[in-house]
Amino acid sequence: MAVIGTGAERIERLGRIWEERPGVLGWITTTDHKRIGLLYLFTTLVLFAAGGVEALLLRTQLIKANNGLLSPEAYNELFTLHGVTMVFFFVIPISIGAFGNYLLPLMIGARDMAFPRMNALSFWIFLASGIFMYTSLAIGDAPDAGWFNYVPLSAARFSPGPNIDFYCLGLIFNGIASTLTAVNFIVTMFKGRAPGMSMNRMPLFCFAFLAVSLALVFALPPLNVALILLELDRQVGTHFYDVAGGGDPLLWQHLFWIFGHPEVYIIILPAFGIATSIIPTFTHRRMVAFPLVALAEILVALIGFGVWAHHMFATGLPAAETVYFSAVSLIIVVPSAIQLFAWLTTLLTGTPDFQTPLLFIVGFIVFFIIGGLSGVMFAAVPFDQQVTDTYFVVAHFHFVIFGAAVFPLLGGLYYWFPKVTGRMYSEPVGKLSFWLSFAGTAITFFPMHIVGLLGMPRRVYTYPHGLGWDATNLIETLGSYLLAVGLLMVAANLAVSRFRGKRVGRDPFDGATLEWEASSPPKPYNFPVIPTVSSPYPMWDRRDRKKDERKLERGEMVLDAGHETPATTVVDAELDEILEMPSDSPWPPLLALTLALVFVFLLTGHWVTAVVFAGASAAVLGAWHWKEPEEA
Amino acid sequence: MRARTAGPPVLAVAAATLLAGCGGQTTLEPRSRPAQEISTLWWWMLVAATVVFLGALGMIGLAWLRRRHEGLPLLGNRKRLNLALVVFFGIAIPVAVNVALFVVSNFVVLKQTEAPAAASTRMTIQVIGHQWFWEVRYPGTSAVTANEIHIPARTRVNVVATTADVIHSFWVPQLNRKIDMIPGRRNRVLLYADRPGRYRGQCAEFCGTQHGHMALYVFADPPDRFRAWLANMAAPARAPSAAAERTGAQAFQADACASCHAIRGTSARGVVGPDLTHLATRTTLAALTIPNRRGDLAGWLVDPQHVKPGNRMPVLNLGRNDVKALVAYLESLR
Amino acid sequence: MRQTRALPNGWWGMAVFMASEAALFGSLIGTYFYLEFTGRQWPLGGIAAPSVTAPLLLTATLVASSVPMALASAAARRGRTGATWLLVFAAFVVQSGYLAAQIVEYTSDLDKFQPDTNAYGSIYFTLLGAHHIHVAVGLLLDLWLLARLLSGLTDYRVKAVRAIALYWYVVTAIAVFVVATQVSPS
Repeated sequence: MAVIGTGAERIERLGRIWEERPGVLGWITTTDHKRIGLLYLFTTLVLFAAGGVEALLLRTQLIKANNGLLSPEAYNELFTLHGVTMVFFFVIPISIGAFGNYLLPLMIGARDMAFPRMNALSFWIFLASGIFMYTSLAIGDAPDAGWFNYVPLSAARFSPGPNIDFYCLGLIFNGIASTLTAVNFIVTMFKGRAPGMSMNRMPLFCFAFLAVSLALVFALPPLNVALILLELDRQVGTHFYDVAGGGDPLLWQHLFWIFGHPEVYIIILPAFGIATSIIPTFTHRRMVAFPLVALAEILVALIGFGVWAHHMFATGLPAAETVYFSAVSLIIVVPSAIQLFAWLTTLLTGTPDFQTPLLFIVGFIVFFIIGGLSGVMFAAVPFDQQVTDTYFVVAHFHFVIFGAAVFPLLGGLYYWFPKVTGRMYSEPVGKLSFWLSFAGTAITFFPMHIVGLLGMPRRVYTYPHGLGWDATNLIETLGSYLLAVGLLMVAANLAVSRFRGKRVGRDPFDGATLEWEASSPPKPYNFPVIPTVSSPYPMWDRRDRKKDERKLERGEMVLDAGHETPATTVVDAELDEILEMPSDSPWPPLLALTLALVFVFLLTGHWVTAVVFAGASAAVLGAWHWKEPEEA
Repeated sequence: MRARTAGPPVLAVAAATLLAGCGGQTTLEPRSRPAQEISTLWWWMLVAATVVFLGALGMIGLAWLRRRHEGLPLLGNRKRLNLALVVFFGIAIPVAVNVALFVVSNFVVLKQTEAPAAASTRMTIQVIGHQWFWEVRYPGTSAVTANEIHIPARTRVNVVATTADVIHSFWVPQLNRKIDMIPGRRNRVLLYADRPGRYRGQCAEFCGTQHGHMALYVFADPPDRFRAWLANMAAPARAPSAAAERTGAQAFQADACASCHAIRGTSARGVVGPDLTHLATRTTLAALTIPNRRGDLAGWLVDPQHVKPGNRMPVLNLGRNDVKALVAYLESLR
Repeated sequence: MRQTRALPNGWWGMAVFMASEAALFGSLIGTYFYLEFTGRQWPLGGIAAPSVTAPLLLTATLVASSVPMALASAAARRGRTGATWLLVFAAFVVQSGYLAAQIVEYTSDLDKFQPDTNAYGSIYFTLLGAHHIHVAVGLLLDLWLLARLLSGLTDYRVKAVRAIALYWYVVTAIAVFVVATQVSPS
């Protein structure tokens, strides 16, 4: 429905319609995907710092043999919390909550997610779950059975305190946020793409996040079941995991790793998506083998569901099972290798400009290769049976989870910084921050391969002299301090440039995807005109961008009659209807609060109170849906 | 895969010298066939991995050198060729390498590291994991000890690995892979030592507060020395002879030690802590945490929580005389 | 009512969410069979295998309630408020009866054995309990619909009817698998 006026008048009207409530209240009630993305970003960076401090404490305890900095109880809580924080409260939420939320609607030419209020709910639940989990540390009862929390150590008999209850309930609560985000992403990518962006024209970044979301939908339930069954064993006296009652401790391991392995692909896929965004921009060419790469991204997520028991090769599984899981673990190398060589070939055949974002991607590639190669070694069952549960595996997963998953996040922070802030970071400091982080990562984690081969098990709070581990541990600890400096330099560069960086326009890097069409920072409504799309590299289609300018003057696809966004068909993205979107709402933070109280009272064992707050949550949901969107 | 064909010899020796500790717990100084085969597999995988890594680094380096030119060096910018590169390096080569790795590791090497066939071993020992020590039994005898296992060298020994509480993992890297000790399961692993010696192992599955101090020794003895050791282990405790020892024996009962520890041949039958019947034959205490020397033993009795915080032995506030007597008694348990 | 080519966002959201619930039940059912195949006997501890008739009959009733639900969805898309309301109400009545009967069965089972008796009891009551909770939530969704439809049909409410109908289809399909698991020892 076109409203009368010129292009400038339309823009002014859009600005008024999409204006956000000012001040703190505006941030609390926001449903704008960009604000929610920033809320996630700041929260996850705080939690990253917490996980990092935990790591530095662990490494300092291990700087020399028989060190007494940390008691074994403190050490065990710290390494557990380090793992839980980094996986559940940093890398996943920053990838999907910060990067995914901020960028997905922009990249598909939409004005917001399919469910903006549910998006806000995800954030407030995430924040509440982080506070819930860290309360355990504040009261000195942090989870202490490792991030994968094996039974019977985590059962009531051997862990009688509330530590493990914090773990179970905190993760179930946290999982709700991730599930809701996954639902939001899938529906947004199915129904919210700009008209003309058929599935095969969706950017690779979006394919990666689609794969992540589908994986989350199917991977989180086994974890939730594992956690619920453990809580039932602990609180109600069921016998899922105890042998005497007919249960099996390996049931926990199967359920956990059926979640846990797809989880690591969930961790790495956003990194792949960021890499496939940065590489074309800085090599000034399209990605080599685009359809193969898109397919590979989906295949990694899919095959990732079939390999879980490679975490259990030392448990005495029947030979046929170990051989099967070894085979599939080798098969999954192929889609990763496809992507790797697509990136390398694009780098080689393009004209790469090795600015900071691309440097971080090159660092990612190097670390991904190392981590991937050690991963392939683990698929060789007898070798796994020697080095699993040693520092060799600690090396492997830090190369893939830190080196390969975090470096693209750092590169992405630099890359999209001008878009989000409208200013440019310092390039020389950026390059230095890369080299320091790269060196720090290499020096911290590479020697772990060696000390693992020399027999050092993981999760030990100290070690004796004379086993050949001393020098290597010292080097690793010093490396971790260097890494901390590199990361602080990244943070400082971005923090200072936020206020003092040179102002830039919409598209300082000549990017290919639609977020570069929006202003820097984007207006609340993202685009004055829903963009015209006819390829996966819309910003490099000058004709389509000219068409948008003409559409603005004609009032076509401006959608300024209300708080509007289009819905399109799933495969071909043909325009289907115009939807009225919600604006600021108090219900998401309120619902997060009532849900949080449910979990608090489950933790304290006050079942009736918990049920009362569950009822309150239902009431809030009712209030949320009471007012319906206006008919367009 | 015997030593003769073990990888590029120069690389292996040089790296091994650099990387290896002095015996100890390393996977790179194997002392049995299973560990040897795993080690050889590792060196070959390292070679392959290095080739791949250097190749990829080379591509990155080339990309940097040729950053002002489009297309591949010499061959130019051809879409088909680019795709072929991706398919070749991304699919064909990984498939080939992985098939080879799969076949070798899971059909050749795995045969060596699997649980030994029942008829193929000469003796069986039971190792039971506890928080945080190893109970060791020799079925067919009444021998029970803790933390320091003796086996005859060059003999196939079947280890039955179980647990009394949480999941532990039995691991002696120089002799074989690790095997988890899981409630309700009787996992088995082969222990075979090529030559006499002392091999160190450690629990390899996080099992609680003192997981970091749950190590063990495997002593591979010449056969007659082993037989003598076993005979001694099976015998009940030596009766105390000197006065100090007798006082210590009485203190042992009076100070409630017997509620947790067993000394066969006496009325002490506790099962919470390690069997102490022949404590004086062990080289270490508290699962290799401290040496078995008079001063260390006394220190342990005075304050076990200081030595190994969180372990199950409480501080008993023993008087100095009691400690002296107990030490004398325990030192007599040869 | 406005006709669209694609299924509404709300329907898709429900579909993806229900996929995750299906995975939840898949994990619970997987747990059931894992415990069965690693156990020495099943049911454990001499517990009698469950009767077949009541569970199957009840599930058939629930499946039957899909018919009024589907008809309600079709009526809503044609803008027929009265018919929609009545059909949802009919479904609600059958579904409530189903849940009431299931609760009677559940409590009678609890007299014979409990979740803390052994692993069989644990998974039996957890699997069934999880499904009954989903049915109860569905009843709340029905009540919400019935309340809102009293003030007429809008495009938004049509989407709600379709999404909640989808909820019921999936919960009903899951019921078939749950009941098959429940009676499998018999």
